[in-house]
Amino acid sequence: METIRLAQRAMACRFELVLEGEDAPRLRAAGEAALREIEWLETRLSRFLPASDTSRINARAAKEAVPVEPWLFDLLKRCRRLHERTNGAFDLTVGPLMQAWGFYGDGGRVPDADALAEARRRAGMRLVELDEARRAVRFAREGVALDFGAIGKGYAVDEAMHILREAGVERAFLHGGTSTMYGLGQPADAEAWNVAIVDPGAADEPVAVVALRDEALSVSAVSGKSFEFEGVCYGHVLDPRLGKPVRGAALAAAAAASAETADAVSTALLAEARPFPEYRSLVIEPGAPRRILQNGMPLHAPASHVATPAAPASNGHAARLNFTPA
Amino acid sequence: MNDRTRGGLLSRRNFLKRSSLIPLSGLLAQSPAIGAATRSAGFKEQVQTALIGFGPQGRDIAATLARIPEATLAAVADHYNVMLRRSQRSMPEVPVFEDYRAVLDNPDISTVFVATPTHTHRQIALDALSAGKHVYVEAPMASTIEDARAMAQAARDNPNLIFQVGLLTRSHPNYRSVFQFIRSGALGRATMARAQWHSKESWRRVSPNTEREMALNWRLDAGVSTGLIGEVGMHQLDPAFWFLGKRPAAVTGLGQIMLWDDGRKTPDTIQAIFELEDGVPLLYDATLTSSFDGAYDTYSGRDSTIMFRDHRAWMFKEVDAPLLGWEVYARKDQFYKELGIALAANATQLDAQDISPTEDDPNLETPLWYAMRDFIDNHAFGPYLPAASYEVGFEAAVIAIRANEAILQQTRLAYDDALFAI
Repeated sequence: METIRLAQRAMACRFELVLEGEDAPRLRAAGEAALREIEWLETRLSRFLPASDTSRINARAAKEAVPVEPWLFDLLKRCRRLHERTNGAFDLTVGPLMQAWGFYGDGGRVPDADALAEARRRAGMRLVELDEARRAVRFAREGVALDFGAIGKGYAVDEAMHILREAGVERAFLHGGTSTMYGLGQPADAEAWNVAIVDPGAADEPVAVVALRDEALSVSAVSGKSFEFEGVCYGHVLDPRLGKPVRGAALAAAAAASAETADAVSTALLAEARPFPEYRSLVIEPGAPRRILQNGMPLHAPASHVATPAAPASNGHAARLNFTPA
Repeated sequence: MNDRTRGGLLSRRNFLKRSSLIPLSGLLAQSPAIGAATRSAGFKEQVQTALIGFGPQGRDIAATLARIPEATLAAVADHYNVMLRRSQRSMPEVPVFEDYRAVLDNPDISTVFVATPTHTHRQIALDALSAGKHVYVEAPMASTIEDARAMAQAARDNPNLIFQVGLLTRSHPNYRSVFQFIRSGALGRATMARAQWHSKESWRRVSPNTEREMALNWRLDAGVSTGLIGEVGMHQLDPAFWFLGKRPAAVTGLGQIMLWDDGRKTPDTIQAIFELEDGVPLLYDATLTSSFDGAYDTYSGRDSTIMFRDHRAWMFKEVDAPLLGWEVYARKDQFYKELGIALAANATQLDAQDISPTEDDPNLETPLWYAMRDFIDNHAFGPYLPAASYEVGFEAAVIAIRANEAILQQTRLAYDDALFAI
C-alpha cells in the first residue's frame, strides 16, 4: 500500500490531500487532477479575481440578468435552499456587510450607523433573483454582491472528490485549511478517517473525534481572524440576519454527505449557536466555563485516550487531523 | 512580410466592415463596455459552434463561449466517455458525440474548436476545412512540421474559412499594447530576452481504463509529444519572436528527467537558447520539478526591461535611461529591490470611462476570452486573416517542434528558411 501526500494553495488556504492505493504515480496523477480542479474553481468563484463568474455577476446583475453555466446556477439554487434550512444564517450576500466591517482587508472596523444601515439594505438572499427559464441571476438592487466564502471551499472539496472517484481512487482524505474536509472510503489500517475537533480555548484534549467514511466535516471558528474595538473582540464571521459579527458560538462543526453542505452549515451554526436538528453538529458556546451542545456528534470522553500523532496539517485552529490512526 | 491581401482575403467589402469596428474596439483591445452594441449589430445570426475534445482546455473553451453572447455551443465531441459525461454534467442541454465526424456532418454547425491532443489536430482540422467549417485549433497546431504544413496549406487554400490558432497573446490587449510600446523603442536597443515556466506537477493523467490512460498521457509519449517547449513554452516563445520581430536562426537544447523518473522518456526539465537573426539571444527554461518563481517573461534592452507575469506587464528602467513623461503618474509595484512601472493597456480608453488609467481594466477578461472574441468577431466582420493566423501558428509550431528535437538530441540545430515554407 502506497501513501501519497499532496498540497495546493487555493482559496486563501492550504488544501492537503492524502491518497492510499497501489500505484504511486497514478495516485499522484489523480490527486493532481483533483487539486487542479480546486484551483480552477477558485478562478470561477473568487470575488477577488476580476475575470471570475462571481465578479462578473457582482458587476452586472443589478443592471441586467446575467446568464450563468448550469453548474453555477445549480450551486446558486442549492445555496438558496441552504439559506432557508439554516434560518437565514447562511447567506451568500454578506459581501456589503463584510465590506462595511472591513473584513475584506486585513483589519476590521466598527462601521458607523449609516454605513451599516446601507450595507444591510444591500444584503439578503431575497435580493437575488434566479431566473430558471433563462438560467440567469439578477439582483433586485444596486450594490448587492455574492460571496461564496462560506461554501466555496466545500463545493471545491466535493468536486475534487468527484475527480478522484472518476479516476478509481478508493481511499483519500482532503481538507481545505483544516476547516472543511472529506474522507473517501477508509484508510487501510482503520475503520474511518478520524478527525479530532479541538476547542481553540482548550487545545489539549479534543472535544470530539469524528469518524468520517464517505462523509464530510466542516469546522468553523471565530478565533482565526478577529479585531478588538473598545474592549470587545469581533470575529470575522457575520450573522447576516443581524448585520454584525457573531457572538453566538466560539466554534461549530457539522457533518454531512457533502462538504458543500457541511461548510455552509458550520458557518451558519456560528450565528445560530445551537445544533440544527437535521444535521449532525456541535457548537461550543463562548465564555467560561465552556458549554458544548451537540446533535449526533458524541463528545470525546476526556479519560479515554485517543492517539493523535503529529498531524501534518494542524496549521489551523479548528480541527486536528488524524490521518493515520495508530 | 507576407502579403496578407492574397486570395482576396481582404476584399474591399470586408475591409470596410472591419474598419468600421476599429474605432470602437480601438484595435488594440476589445473593451466589452464599448463595442457591444455595434458588435451585435454586425452579427446577423448566432454562430453555431462545436467543440471537439472536452479535456481541461476544451472545458475552458466551453466556459468562455458562455460569455460570448453571439456564439452558441451546439455540440461536444470526444471519443472518451468520461469527458462526455463531464460535458453533460456541466452542460446538460448540449448534445454529445463520440465521433467528431458526426459534428462535421451537421450543416447547422459553421464553426469548430479543436482541443484534442496535439498530434490528432491535423486530421480533424483538415476534415473540418473540407466540411466547410471555420476552425479554431489549439496551439501548437500540430506535433510535426509536416502536419503543421499540411494544415497551413489547407487553411491558405480555403481563404473564405476562418482558421485561427490558439496563440492567445496575439489577441490580448496587454500584449498588443506592449508590442507597440516595444516597437516604439521603449527598451532602447534590445539586447536579450528570457522566459521561464516552473511548476511542480507530474504531468501524468490517470484513467481506470489502461488503454485510455495511455492515450491520455500523450504529453509524456516521446513519439508524439512536443514536450514542455511545445505544450507550454510555445505560448511564451511566440510573443517573444513577435515582439522582437525576428525568427530564430538556431536553437541549442538540453533536457533532463530530474524528478519524475516513472518510466517516461520526455524530460521534466528543459533549457533552450535561441539565436535570433539579429543576434539577440532568447533563453527559455521550464521544469515540472519546482514551482519557484512561477512563470514570467522578460525583454531587456539598453534603457529598460519589460516583464510579463500573469499576462500583466511592468517596465523596469535603467537609472541612466531618459525619463518618460507619463511614468510619474503610473502605478508602481515593488519586486524585491526593483521598482516596476505598471504598463496598463487601454490607458486612454480607461480614462475616457472615468477609470484611473493606472489601474487594471476592471473589464479585463481571460486570455482565452480575447482570442475567442477575436475569432467569433471574424464571423461577422470577416473573413480576414486573424492575428493568430495559420502563418503565425505554423511558424510558432516549426520553432517549437525544432527546439524540442534539439532538446531531445541535446544539440544545436539550425532553422533553415525551407523549414518555414508553407
